[in-house]
Amino acid sequence: MTRFVRPAALLLVAAVTLVLPATLDDSALAVYILLGLAAIVTAGVSLLMGYAGQVSLGQGAFYAIGAYTAALLSLGGVPPLVGLLAAPVAAAVFALVIGTPLLRLRGHHLAFATLAMQLILLSLAGQLEFTGGDIGLQAIPQFSLGSFEASGAAAYAYMTWAGLAVVMLITHNVISSRPGRALRALATSETAAASSGIPVGRYKLVVFALSATFAGLAGGIYCFYTGYVAPGSFPVLISIQYIVMAVVGGLGTIWGAVVGATAITLLVQGLDRLASLPGMPTYAPSVLSYAVYALVLIVVVLFMPRGLVPALSRRPDRRPRR
Amino acid sequence: MSAFLSYLLNGLAVGCAIALIASGLVTIHRVTGVVNFAQGTFAVVAGLCTSSLLGLGFPHGLSELAAVLAAAVAGLLTGLAAIGKRGTTPLASLIVTLGVGVLAYAVEIVLWGDQPRSAPGLAGSVTVAGAHIQTQHLLVIGVTAATFVLLALFFGRTYLGKALTACASNPYAARVVGIDVRRMGLLAFALGGLLGGIAGVLVTPLRPISFDTDVTLIVNGFAAAVFGALTRPVIALFGALLLGVAETMAAGYGYGSHQLEVALGLMIIVMIVQAGRRSAISEETV
Repeated sequence: MTRFVRPAALLLVAAVTLVLPATLDDSALAVYILLGLAAIVTAGVSLLMGYAGQVSLGQGAFYAIGAYTAALLSLGGVPPLVGLLAAPVAAAVFALVIGTPLLRLRGHHLAFATLAMQLILLSLAGQLEFTGGDIGLQAIPQFSLGSFEASGAAAYAYMTWAGLAVVMLITHNVISSRPGRALRALATSETAAASSGIPVGRYKLVVFALSATFAGLAGGIYCFYTGYVAPGSFPVLISIQYIVMAVVGGLGTIWGAVVGATAITLLVQGLDRLASLPGMPTYAPSVLSYAVYALVLIVVVLFMPRGLVPALSRRPDRRPRR
Repeated sequence: MSAFLSYLLNGLAVGCAIALIASGLVTIHRVTGVVNFAQGTFAVVAGLCTSSLLGLGFPHGLSELAAVLAAAVAGLLTGLAAIGKRGTTPLASLIVTLGVGVLAYAVEIVLWGDQPRSAPGLAGSVTVAGAHIQTQHLLVIGVTAATFVLLALFFGRTYLGKALTACASNPYAARVVGIDVRRMGLLAFALGGLLGGIAGVLVTPLRPISFDTDVTLIVNGFAAAVFGALTRPVIALFGALLLGVAETMAAGYGYGSHQLEVALGLMIIVMIVQAGRRSAISEETV
């Protein structure tokens, strides 16, 4: 039975994804695009937390690196496609360089080190000349490929969700391969994994770089879509938001990232609409979104530690609870 | 020379505030194994409370005391969320405290708005060997020294303090001799809130506090705490003083825009050096 249900569900999701951009208006499309971008980054966070067992509070930094790379290149006259492809590469290279020393840390040490990394990068981006300081980079050209120019939001929506499909395919292939099993092993016990011959350090570094690649790709699309990047676009809270989405969706599940990003984005959007009703105080939108992130994170971590996807799918997960 | 002396004393004052945050982190981590991400929040809550109470016309002393107690209550509530449920792993607790910190943003904005607030402290300055020192800085140093002495007496001389130390060194053995480890954990959180509150009350007159100041505070406090491997308060104190002096000197001698990078870079290096000395096994069994 499940043999037919799964492809059918997949086709349905794909069809809905393709139809939606044509039917949504511009403000709804903006939500749709940001949702897709968040899901791309969250897929990386979920892989890193669920499979390599490492917490990164600095995923926003890789997102920022991707955005700045694509922005700087296309402002310098390089074709946008090259800029878009360079974004994930730059993020991955950066992750490999800083991951080599940082991944010697574990648990809360790594969490704080990645947070520190993001704070350092934001502070540098706000001070350096070529990144435009606190004002950031503006007037980034539209994404174009040959004679085709992506001018409408719908084009970016297709770009985002195509990116998400690629990211999910990569994730699927990684976790169902031999390295994927090795990663699951090292998440439970590094010592045991190392003694069964798994190159622990190298695998952790590769997953770290892969999660950075995803974030860099999302950052690249983001900069073409908004046409503007600044340090203020990548606050620490954005990294926490990815953790919330990954935890809510279910760590280490492929669909968890999408479900988590969708649930949180729609919840926050709905509350935003509620908060901007007449008669609500001006601070209502930010207060409500902080409160939602916080409460959802706390409740899910304490009472649904494996997230929505495993909790909702009836088939009991054979993987031991972590 | 007088500029150097005034930078040094200012730096020591900044370092003392960091040390109070760090000591709260260390207290909680020793007893419960949880790194409390909401530690900076306690300072922010206390700072904002002081400014409000003083604004309402309450006298000095009473306002500060009430603010510190409010921070201790915040600590207790954080503890209930983080370790109140049995079987929560330390890393899950870290994420919960992260959530508490964000939740506090919402509460703080509702109560105090999103603009930075300040509070009047001790006015005036004294001249020591040709250097002008703000009296508030001397107050910060004095209160911190007193707090650390009291902490040492509490952990070394009282029954409750010894029970906390017992939980820190061996939770299982502590339970065997009849100590309620969970209650001690909550007590540690309340104590951490108290210490964070003292830091907040002392810092607010020096630099304005807003709801998102907690990130700077917690990062600096954590940087100091890792000097003592999150378990030794005295080494954390020295780490904090070093950090405070280094940051103030950097600012004073014209590298002010890079003081955050200096502190964070130092923290990462210290952690990596320490990680090189620990084996994976010892960390996984803890």
